[in-house]
Amino acid sequence: MKKKGLTVTGKQRIAGWTFLTPASLLIFILSFYPMFQALMMSMKTGSSANMKWAPLLFNYKRMFADKLFMRSVGNTFLYLIIQVPIMLILAILLAQILNNKDIKFRGLFRTMVFLPCATSLVSYALIFKSLFATQGLMNSILMNLGIIKENINFLGTPGTAKAIIIIALLWRWTGYNMVFYLAGLQNIEYQVYEAAKIDGANGWQTFWKITVPLLKPTIIMTFIMSINGTLQLFDESVNLTSGGPANSTITMSHYIYNNSFGQGTANFGYASAMSFFVFILVAVLAFINLKVGDTRD
Amino acid sequence: MKRKIVSVVLAATMTMTMLAGCGSSASTGSSAAGSEAAGGAASEAAGSEAAATTADVTSEDEHTLSVYAWDKNFNIPALEAAAADYKANVDPDFNLNIIEQSQSSDVENAITLAASSGDYTTLPDIVLFQDHYFHKYVTDYPDAWQSAGDVDVNWDDFSQEKLSYSTVDGTHYGFPVDNGTVIFAYRTDLLEQAGYTIDDVTGISWDEFDEIGKKVYETTGKYLLSMDGDGNDLVYMMLQAEGASQFKDGAPYIADNETLKRVVETINKLVQDKVLYLANDWSDYTDQTIVNDMVAGVMNGNWIIPTIEQVADNSGKWEITSLPTLDGGKEGYASNGGSSLYITANCQKADLAKDFLAKTFGAGSTATYDAALQNGGVITTSTSAGKSEVYNEGVEYFNNQPIYAKIVEMGANVPVVEQSDFHYSCRSYIAAAIINITNGADVDSELKNAEDQLKFEMGVE
Repeated sequence: MKKKGLTVTGKQRIAGWTFLTPASLLIFILSFYPMFQALMMSMKTGSSANMKWAPLLFNYKRMFADKLFMRSVGNTFLYLIIQVPIMLILAILLAQILNNKDIKFRGLFRTMVFLPCATSLVSYALIFKSLFATQGLMNSILMNLGIIKENINFLGTPGTAKAIIIIALLWRWTGYNMVFYLAGLQNIEYQVYEAAKIDGANGWQTFWKITVPLLKPTIIMTFIMSINGTLQLFDESVNLTSGGPANSTITMSHYIYNNSFGQGTANFGYASAMSFFVFILVAVLAFINLKVGDTRD
Repeated sequence: MKRKIVSVVLAATMTMTMLAGCGSSASTGSSAAGSEAAGGAASEAAGSEAAATTADVTSEDEHTLSVYAWDKNFNIPALEAAAADYKANVDPDFNLNIIEQSQSSDVENAITLAASSGDYTTLPDIVLFQDHYFHKYVTDYPDAWQSAGDVDVNWDDFSQEKLSYSTVDGTHYGFPVDNGTVIFAYRTDLLEQAGYTIDDVTGISWDEFDEIGKKVYETTGKYLLSMDGDGNDLVYMMLQAEGASQFKDGAPYIADNETLKRVVETINKLVQDKVLYLANDWSDYTDQTIVNDMVAGVMNGNWIIPTIEQVADNSGKWEITSLPTLDGGKEGYASNGGSSLYITANCQKADLAKDFLAKTFGAGSTATYDAALQNGGVITTSTSAGKSEVYNEGVEYFNNQPIYAKIVEMGANVPVVEQSDFHYSCRSYIAAAIINITNGADVDSELKNAEDQLKFEMGVE
């Protein structure tokens, strides 16, 4: 028998590369190349038909002098700091309750808590908008209960508008995170709880000493996902309040959008620079989170 | 071995189909030829909606033009009227392929996209474009347009204020379609309950208006005026009625502008006195305040009329007049919004496009404008077309007042004020300032803030 040109491992290698190349090429062309282009664009300025190289880091310096962008960063972090912890705590509590084997109609309740997640972002934002309109349902209820004397313009007042965005986010995303916790809870052996019970631990202690530590990987994952999602928050700001009143609820992504497609601006250079700022923020926060959550010595 | 051959054949077929797919789509994209001539005619016959799905926007047929427009109740009937007019009187083979866009910003994005990629072949021959955006788009994308400077049109027939949007550095680019003249419409029955007539609110000052408004709110519980607080057009309209602008020599003129400061203070006072209601956004403004019958007065460009007319119960109760002014004693005139038709760089049949536009909209053709008014409620800024009979008929909804003739007449009085590429940016910064002021912030510092923000965006010191 003639000796073939390639060894078995050689053949396997070629097969491996052949399978890998198309996907890698597509990812490279459709994802990495545009990213690189965006990075280049973030160094340029001028109308999009005729972009010129800007002085070094011009757009990046500009964004720190831009009060409106700084306000959008502030708003986003406000949502992040208030909404994410409340949401995750609620989710974990709900998961704990709905994991109880003695509850009747468990499946029904789980579905109900998860259901908001199945609504589209735009439609739920519009529903919240009509709920909290000046002549909306919430105002009528509060009026009839005698809690308020005059209809409140919820979405037209800076403080309440922010609060409503947070409430909307809680409603939309708590169930989503609960599902992760429920899945995580399935992996905890029931014997662990039985052992704790025998040792005389009460519910509170079991929760903090067993459930939370064993759920840690899931908690970290949901944390990173929530931070990532909140930093890129867009739909609620656009559809619920359109960034108003007086830009008091605008988020970073919304401001970036306004700079690229809103009001005929097409300021693509500046918009991509701000996008990279968000990218760095997400990366840094995720990194900190991973480090903090890492229990290995 | 057999298996290998099969897999090679399969892979080859797949590659082939992929390549073929790319090839064919590329060819339709660039040539846009034969199929479109038929397609254009068919979609024209079937109405404008079907055309929106075709990717090819221009046709090689010598008698066919394509145009982007966005409102099938308003400007599309006007274009259909012009097409019918040109077909009947000039070119019997003429075809206008109206491609409907869902909103005006789609047209702006189409221009941005084409210009950013440097590929203008995606554009139709003609676009309908918002007046306030046009200067900015000429500055940013000068290559996207063809000037209409050499066209035989009697420009003096049109409102000079309207033309100031479509004229850049003395060169005409656009053909006016509609009219943005601001009307102040009042519910005469509610005014009457408070003891006033339409004459009592004509030619008054904003302070007098405030007094009347308080009385109206007391007796009827309705605000005398409302506006979208997010995109607050009041400032622009009130300033224009004074002949003033938010810009001076190309730079923002806000913090030191005494007239502007008085306007903002007036708006704040109207809000505090419950005469003016600032809605949260545009749909809140139209649906809640106007259609939901919250107000006894509406002040905006006359394109707001169809919104007012949505409340059938109030037919015959409305009448229109001019604007109040800061000092009173005279009538105020302003203009807000509106659009014009422009020829894009992609138009290969510029002569046909210019001839079509010049002989219909440009010539003040009665056939075009009468049908545009009857079918779409589009009002002209052409003085000669405004004299036609259709314009002088009374409108039942407005107590048989001949409002169209009145609007054309008011439009001729609108003062020309300095325009800017940054009109909408300026509007949103001042709108934000006003919201803060009505919530108790200091007027001077808020206006200073707005000016700083706008200067920052414009990159001027």
